[in-house]
Amino acid sequence: MRTFRGGLLIGLAVAILVAAVAVTYERYDTRTLKRTVRRGDVLCGVNKGLPGFSYRDDTASMPDNESGWTGFDVDFCRAVAAAIFNDPNKARFIALDANERFKELQSRKVDILSRNSTWSMARELEYDLYFPAVAYYDGAGFMLPRSRNIDSALDLSGSKVCVQSATTTALHLTDYFRANNIKYEEVKFDKLDDVVKAYDSGKCDTLTADVSQLYALRLNLTKPGDHSILPDMISKEPLAPVVRQRDDDWMMIVKWTLYAMINAEELGVTSKNIDEAMKSKKPEVMRLVGTDGNYGEQLGLTKDWAARIIRHVGNYGEMYDRNIGSGSKLKIPRGMNQLWNAGGVQYAPPIR
Amino acid sequence: MVFMICLGSGEKRFMTKFRHLSWMMMAAVGLTISIAPSRAQQPDVGDQPGLIADDSYQQDPEWRKQVVYYRTTEAPGTIIVSTAERHLYLVQPGGRAIRYGIGVGRQGFQWQGLMNITKKAEWPDWTPPPEMIQRQPYLPRFMAGGPGNPLGARAMYLGTTVYRIHGTNRPDTIGTAVSSGCFRLVNADVMDLYDRVPVGTKVIVRQKPEL
Repeated sequence: MRTFRGGLLIGLAVAILVAAVAVTYERYDTRTLKRTVRRGDVLCGVNKGLPGFSYRDDTASMPDNESGWTGFDVDFCRAVAAAIFNDPNKARFIALDANERFKELQSRKVDILSRNSTWSMARELEYDLYFPAVAYYDGAGFMLPRSRNIDSALDLSGSKVCVQSATTTALHLTDYFRANNIKYEEVKFDKLDDVVKAYDSGKCDTLTADVSQLYALRLNLTKPGDHSILPDMISKEPLAPVVRQRDDDWMMIVKWTLYAMINAEELGVTSKNIDEAMKSKKPEVMRLVGTDGNYGEQLGLTKDWAARIIRHVGNYGEMYDRNIGSGSKLKIPRGMNQLWNAGGVQYAPPIR
Repeated sequence: MVFMICLGSGEKRFMTKFRHLSWMMMAAVGLTISIAPSRAQQPDVGDQPGLIADDSYQQDPEWRKQVVYYRTTEAPGTIIVSTAERHLYLVQPGGRAIRYGIGVGRQGFQWQGLMNITKKAEWPDWTPPPEMIQRQPYLPRFMAGGPGNPLGARAMYLGTTVYRIHGTNRPDTIGTAVSSGCFRLVNADVMDLYDRVPVGTKVIVRQKPEL
């Protein structure tokens, strides 16, 4: 009797211990892929209101509450969800402030940050984060009236330049003009709205901001068609998705989701011809769509992981055009974001 | 005499790859396997001989001439045509290019490769070849150069082929795939390009990769 009770107690203690370990493990398991799969959706940290990149249309009375979101960053997160769940609607969006975004990612409020964030060394080190690959090459540029007939920043000598004060853009402006020994006059404002108003009313000859921003600002000018944006970029603002460090399975999925989309564009595989691509006999296409090799399985996904992305979201060019390129309001030329073999620097390592 | 054959027709026909068929075959195929019209803008998508170009037509910003970032190892002065993008790039020094919006060959009339500009002409005449007349019997047999000519204000001849870079009297077809293999620009753009490129200019034509 005594031995039975003792055995029972020991058994109970072991059970409690196992349960406690399991709960702790569950709570502190840092493998995002596993947690995401168990939860059944991908938590995406996005910008609440940046048309073209991520934007929530509150008036959209869609039954599914995620469908009001649009944008380049939003679509990238949907691509990750498509790779894992074969369903782009398994991405759930959480709007994050610029100040809090890296901490929120660090504290695992989101699985991935897809929120127009510039990749820099300080950010990776300070927050223990990792930027897997550049999704969009941005940088400071110039907008000016078409009538000025200037197509190089080096011809801006003597210009009055409108700029938002206390921004990195203002610093790049100073550096650029000093380095090229060009005289100019700064017209500074604290608020971006005031910068734009000043430019629109002709108080300055040109306006500087990040190029993606210039295209968005141009839409709100009195006569958008009368203004052009120079092809020059005077700073490096590589925008990239962000994940936590020491979470390699997850980092690999995010990185290769982007690379699969870029490779798909290079190989001519689109959301429209993906069924045809599944029957392709071209080795590169076969490896991409998973009819040859088992890269998807090695990632912890399925063989057709990339085909799922392309089918549901499209290739890189489709994502670009729809949200910020020719098919959008912004109409940002591909520029540096064109593929490496077509005039740009967007370059994905091969799938082989 | 070299015929200008590469203007577009409105009829939608699906042919196997253009360069693998003889001209006669093409005409025969075109006449026999004409697929039912799939678009509303039948029968004239590409050409409308006699129509005067509407200069006030507002081009979408995507197709308007502009200087863009363009990284390439090709020398300044080279023309690179990206048919999938519907853009023609004239390479400039300093990692940039002048980008023009173009209309390109419709399905079955796509080609790629390296060419040279062999001849330039202002307000070119148009003599549709017999094959084209057979496909589009309503076309004129000859049309003198001028504002109503579908070849537009300028033409640049590519190699010894029937293909040209030319103007148009249909600015609304820029950004579409309607021609028989030529590249068309709006008249203002083709005149601008014409003045920038000499005979002998290298022209690289790129298509979307095949699956």
